[in-house]
Amino acid sequence: MSEKSVGVQEVTRSLADILQEKGIPISFQYGKAPEEMVDREVSREPTPRAKKLRDLYFNTYSSVDLEFPYWYTRKYMELDNEVPIVRRALALKSAFSHLTPSIYPGELLVMGKAHYYRGSFPMPWLSESFYVAKEDELYQEALKRGSASAGELSKFGAGGGNVTKSFGNVVSIAGKFGIRSEEVPALIKLAKQWVGKSVEDLGHKYEMMVPEYELKEKLMRSLICMFDSGFTLPQGREVINYYYPLQYGFDGLIELARKRKAEVAGNADGDGVKGMDRLYYYEAVIHVIEGLQKWILNYAREARRLAGITTDPSQKKEYEEIAETLEWIAHNQPRTFREALQLTYTLHIAVLNEDAISGMSPGRLGQVLWPWYEQGTEAGHLSREKVLELLECHRVKFTCIDCFASTGVVGGVLSGNTFNNLSMGGLTKDGNPASNDLEKLIIDAAMSLQSPQPTLSVLYDEKLPEDFLLKAIECVKTGTGYPAWMNNQGGIQFLMGQYGSEGMTIPEARAIAIGGCLETSPCTWHPLTLNGKKYWVPGGAGQPTSVGVHFIANPKILECVLFNGYDHRLKEQIYPPHNRRLETYGDVWEVYKQYYEMTVDALNKCNNIQHDIWRKNNMTVINSFLKPDCLEKGQHIGNMGYRYNATFNVESCGTINMVNSLAALKKLVYEEKKYTLDQMREAILENFGFKTAHEVGSFSLFSQVKKAGGEKYDKIHSDCLLANKYGNDDPFVDHILREYEEWFCEMCHNYESLYARPLYACQISVSTHGPQGAATLATPDGRLAGTTYADGSMSAYPGTDRNGPYALFNSATVWDHTRSQNSQLNLKIHPSAVKGLEGSRKLLELTRAYMRRGAFHIQYNIVDSKVLRDAQAHPENYRDLLIRVAGFTQYWVELGKQIQDEVIARTEYEQV
Amino acid sequence: MSQETLRHNDCMNFLAVDVTKGICRRTNELVLIDSEVCGSFTTLPKCKNCAFFKENGQETIGTCTAEKTQPWTFQDLIAVTCEMYAENK
Repeated sequence: MSEKSVGVQEVTRSLADILQEKGIPISFQYGKAPEEMVDREVSREPTPRAKKLRDLYFNTYSSVDLEFPYWYTRKYMELDNEVPIVRRALALKSAFSHLTPSIYPGELLVMGKAHYYRGSFPMPWLSESFYVAKEDELYQEALKRGSASAGELSKFGAGGGNVTKSFGNVVSIAGKFGIRSEEVPALIKLAKQWVGKSVEDLGHKYEMMVPEYELKEKLMRSLICMFDSGFTLPQGREVINYYYPLQYGFDGLIELARKRKAEVAGNADGDGVKGMDRLYYYEAVIHVIEGLQKWILNYAREARRLAGITTDPSQKKEYEEIAETLEWIAHNQPRTFREALQLTYTLHIAVLNEDAISGMSPGRLGQVLWPWYEQGTEAGHLSREKVLELLECHRVKFTCIDCFASTGVVGGVLSGNTFNNLSMGGLTKDGNPASNDLEKLIIDAAMSLQSPQPTLSVLYDEKLPEDFLLKAIECVKTGTGYPAWMNNQGGIQFLMGQYGSEGMTIPEARAIAIGGCLETSPCTWHPLTLNGKKYWVPGGAGQPTSVGVHFIANPKILECVLFNGYDHRLKEQIYPPHNRRLETYGDVWEVYKQYYEMTVDALNKCNNIQHDIWRKNNMTVINSFLKPDCLEKGQHIGNMGYRYNATFNVESCGTINMVNSLAALKKLVYEEKKYTLDQMREAILENFGFKTAHEVGSFSLFSQVKKAGGEKYDKIHSDCLLANKYGNDDPFVDHILREYEEWFCEMCHNYESLYARPLYACQISVSTHGPQGAATLATPDGRLAGTTYADGSMSAYPGTDRNGPYALFNSATVWDHTRSQNSQLNLKIHPSAVKGLEGSRKLLELTRAYMRRGAFHIQYNIVDSKVLRDAQAHPENYRDLLIRVAGFTQYWVELGKQIQDEVIARTEYEQV
Repeated sequence: MSQETLRHNDCMNFLAVDVTKGICRRTNELVLIDSEVCGSFTTLPKCKNCAFFKENGQETIGTCTAEKTQPWTFQDLIAVTCEMYAENK
């Protein structure tokens, strides 16, 4: 037992110690782990070129500059009274045209979001209030100029490349990004130009007209809802579509737009509302493509300049090849695999520069690039080794992508991740296995480079070949946390249900890919012709799924039910008092549903307004020429030019703590009547006699520390902890889960997005289980105040799944997962449990077993928890340690402590 | 501009990596932005080095006189892609 003196006579006893004394069987392990620290079994080295580029990333701070926002704002402000989409396109054109090209030695793929290696920039046209509110603070930091020592500047430990605090001539923004102090005045000036004009400000002006606005604000303050999706991340968690530029080249697209412009100019063609908009749309598309061409050619020019001054002949040749690649793809359909890969990457960052976007997924990239791979290898001028090197370089470039958003979003929701999910496997348009050799090389590159981006997903289908699946399993065993495993048939069923009314068919649904962490996204097929041969390639066809009501803290709503709508943390009435005595379990459940529905209603209305402002003034132009059927219809995203528009959703968080809490209430208060509801309320308010998580400095349940004199609540707390828990194949609690899911998935359909389409359920936590847990009091399941919720939506609460993985699977699949966009189950497995080929087969069988029960998603952390504890204590030794969080993989050192604690606490399976 | 106020990110040979450092194209070594520059310093086009840049009394902020509308700009804005840039003689 760990003991240390705290104050007079007070002895610190953690919950783990107390439980051990009491002999309560709660453990972090299922089975017995080896005593010694065990490393992951599979380990590979990247090519020297990619290693050097990745090592540079390890030594790079997340950095912000102002080129893009400056030139965007300068042009935008010049164009008062221009048609909004043309005004936006011209501003984007100016911004792209003026970006400074940076080409790093050894790169084969070039270009970036900004001119730093890991660069990004603020978009005050979306949201500027943070900088304006922080003006004084940022100025003060900027004034504190000094010469920081080299040691200080090169110290990477906790935080990784995040600029967690200001130093030297670097000012920290939101504890994540660094900006040069001499640029701070320009940042503030830029932000002020958008006051009253940004999506945030205009959206706010109009959302206040919603009668439920006051409730919405309270929901945000209480952290029942995590963020406003309208101006924080208006796009993302979707699948990009690279088809049009890959097929026609940029020149071909300009020609097409010019032709269409002439056809539609002055013609409404029967549509009195949007018909005339087509002219402005095509005009905007031409402008923005010209901007992209200029951007690419600026890089080509820089490559030529570098080739001219470089004395090293091999580096000189590489610069020349870069220039040739860029000069070609700026105008034409790619001829080679390298050109095609460069173009897809360029398009990707072009889209990301247009908006604050998280989760813009490349989709089934191995199938999109297959034509160039197949023809290149068959012709003998493309080797697997070259492809592997290029794919590793591609991973470095994707890992360098940062998303600049507000503090709560970057840290609280995203953990700094950008969720560029690359999907593999699945089926072809005609229902055959779609995996290919290029996808195996994509997996190889991921295994050797060990970087978080792009994260990988397997669209698991029974038809997929065993060797491909085992390859994916091998990758999981390297500890990358990916590929995640998604149920292909389940996803197709969901797509048919949600998008059938917009024309989705089974062959079309087979184009499915994952956007963001694990968001099932509507896609389509296009016929791509290369050298006279036709291929059907998949690509995104739907609006973002990062939009809607995000994220709802399920346990926090239950807390409000128990306390008559009152938030004791804020000391504020959130919901109207229900004034019910909650005499039966049915009463609790009924009020819970009422509060939940009020929550979704208020948030949905306000978010609809924010998104409406976004689509009117800040609509995407780039994505609106990439995604079908904008070019055909002549309409941008805001005019529903996309093929699928029913993408808005309701995201929940903390489902399992809520379910476990309902089970404890039902059992202890209503069935056994062991405690009154008032006794339960008192124990919750007193945090079962424990200190708060913030006082303790840990957010894991079992590290929590008893207050002196807190023993009064020992009995009720142990009863709550021992009450029925999800994840043990226990019908008592699993029934509650099923009842909740059936209601929740149906309830979401009752609300309509601004595109007049029904919402649907999305059940992932990303990182919100940390901050939303921090805002929640103790819960009836025995979880203590401020501690992190269970991750995902189907993961058991740490230490409470005691009957092995198959019992957990039975619990997780008591409901129909195809009614939700997703579900999420994370499993932590000790490396020794899946050792060797036999271990790989066991892991594959485990995955199959879960999928065959109708589950949607599972992913694995193959790691020894002892390694994680050591990494938390000595982050400087673990710069390259990857860990799976909840739908994404991140470097351990770049995660916040709340999430680190939660990952450590997850049940570790020593056998499968 | 005096030698003391010159930073590495004012030099054409400097390739920015992050807000603290970059790679010197001449040596291929990492150098800190705020460390002393060498004799091979070559001026990088930035607004503060442009003939059209006019200081307006605000710290690091000035005016671009190349355009009729005279928009504001800032000293450290890199101008390698600006078609109006004219180096201060």
